[in-house]
Amino acid sequence: MSIEATMKFFVRLRRAMLSDTVSAVAAVVLVLILLISIFGPFLPIGKPDQIGFGPRLGGWSWSAPMGTDQLGRSVLARVLQGIRVTFVLSTVSVAIAGLAGALVGISATYFHRLADEVASRTADIMFAFPPILLGFLVVAIFRPGVTSAMAVIALITFPTMLRVVRASTLSVMRRDFMLVAEISGVSFVDRIFRHLLPNVANVIVVQTIYSISLGMLIESSLSFLGLGVQPPAASLGSLLRDGATYLEIAPWLSVGPGIILALSIMSINLVGDATRSFVDPTYRF
Amino acid sequence: MRGLVGFLLFRVLSASVTLLGLTLVVFTAMHLIPGDFTEVLVPRGTPEFRKALAERLGLDGPLYWQYLTWLKNLVSGDFGASLITSQPVWKEFAGRLPVTMELAVLSVATSIAIGAPLGLISGLAGTGRFVSAISRVFCGFTVSLPDFFLGTIFLYVFSKYALGLTVGDFVPLSVNPEAHFRGMALPVLSLSLLGIGTVAAVTRETVFTLSDQDYVFAATVRGRSMSQIVRRHFVRNASVPLLTVISIYLGYLLGGSILIEQLFSLPGIGRYIFQAVQARDYPVVQAGVVMIAAAFVLTNMLTDIAYGVIDPRMRAGHEH
Repeated sequence: MSIEATMKFFVRLRRAMLSDTVSAVAAVVLVLILLISIFGPFLPIGKPDQIGFGPRLGGWSWSAPMGTDQLGRSVLARVLQGIRVTFVLSTVSVAIAGLAGALVGISATYFHRLADEVASRTADIMFAFPPILLGFLVVAIFRPGVTSAMAVIALITFPTMLRVVRASTLSVMRRDFMLVAEISGVSFVDRIFRHLLPNVANVIVVQTIYSISLGMLIESSLSFLGLGVQPPAASLGSLLRDGATYLEIAPWLSVGPGIILALSIMSINLVGDATRSFVDPTYRF
Repeated sequence: MRGLVGFLLFRVLSASVTLLGLTLVVFTAMHLIPGDFTEVLVPRGTPEFRKALAERLGLDGPLYWQYLTWLKNLVSGDFGASLITSQPVWKEFAGRLPVTMELAVLSVATSIAIGAPLGLISGLAGTGRFVSAISRVFCGFTVSLPDFFLGTIFLYVFSKYALGLTVGDFVPLSVNPEAHFRGMALPVLSLSLLGIGTVAAVTRETVFTLSDQDYVFAATVRGRSMSQIVRRHFVRNASVPLLTVISIYLGYLLGGSILIEQLFSLPGIGRYIFQAVQARDYPVVQAGVVMIAAAFVLTNMLTDIAYGVIDPRMRAGHEH
């Protein structure tokens, strides 16, 4: 895939997405959330670790639109920091593990039956652990923290990507144009990069989007249990965990992070659906 | 391998390989914990006690021997003993298993009871822009709203206002069935939101696929009423895709119930394992992780076997 073709792909994807109301709204919400969280540090809403920015457990106010927590920190500022942490953690782990999963998936399927068998079996075994349980194992070895959360996301992303890419590679390999390419003497490298990869790339893109939202969910679940991001740093999950302590007297500590978390995950999923229906015409909403 | 027997053998064999692999993963993970393994198991034990323990558990032998001994104990039902209560892990689990099972069964039942009719209605309503937008947003919502956040909302609302359903105090079924279900309703609802959405989405998709089939068209031409077509064709054909999402959903429940049991203070397996993680009660963590992962593998195996029984065409697909 040349750069030009990739650009064209994204231009057409954007057009398709904006022509559909649900996808367009989801895409706009996602971009807004990301923009606000990026520019959060420059907004006049206090610093996430600024103790005594407002009253302790203070409710809604103009300077702190989501209220203030038990130390008087602005919840909005902490939520914006939380999205950054949750989103970046998930994206980085998914990028690494997804790429690895895709590479292993394509090469194992294409090159060797035994390698394929080993890779599939490994994926099956890794698949048997629910994310939280995997988290328990990882935390037992590495102690709770950012590294553990990232490792869990990676361990969940890898087998999922591997399976999806494997299925796609198998179906592309059976297509006539692959045979024609081989017969007409197209070099091995070209067969992989010009014929196989562009056809598997769609699936990789879609799966990556879904994995990022799943990763955000895993990170927040682990942090909610206190196994992920450790204080004073905050992610959306750890904010929800702190909020649970003061739930009865200060529900706004939970409402803000929860709604933003659900909105981000939902918009990423809907953008994923839109991308999927764009690259796979047989997929209907 | 041909026929049902071959198919069954193949599935059982493949599940056994996966089970063996997952015990190896758990064993390796537990031995990667920094420190000598007897120290991990009994942090406060005397050297003599550790030595005796090591001999009893076969921890003085080479690694492969330790693994085999552990595996042998697992198979014979010896899951080790909790460091905190000194009770056999198996005993601790047995008392908590019914709560987790009930949570899972009720969640699956609720998802089907609410999700399937919703999906059927939206499917029959057609692919119009408005209907499909609503169903997409609804399904997107159910998949995206984290269960523990929904549970938190429930906790707040139902502990603040008396709305009939209770939170926070678990009453065993045998003591007071009514109070028991009042307490289970909210955890089940929190867990079933995802199930409702996925079941609805799959049912809707099945309705579309079937609407394109010639035999459904033929039935319409023959003057069969909509309810006859739904009963005869849709309900039957939806069973395979439904089975797929439900088996995936069960896998999610095995992990998701940890958060929900913890949030609602239900004395289930998930909460127990989580408490063991916090207390560094490693024998319990080790046994718990193996048990839940094994339950997941067995569920998948049973699903695959059910496919093969429902639809003989599926048997061939598994012999790559």
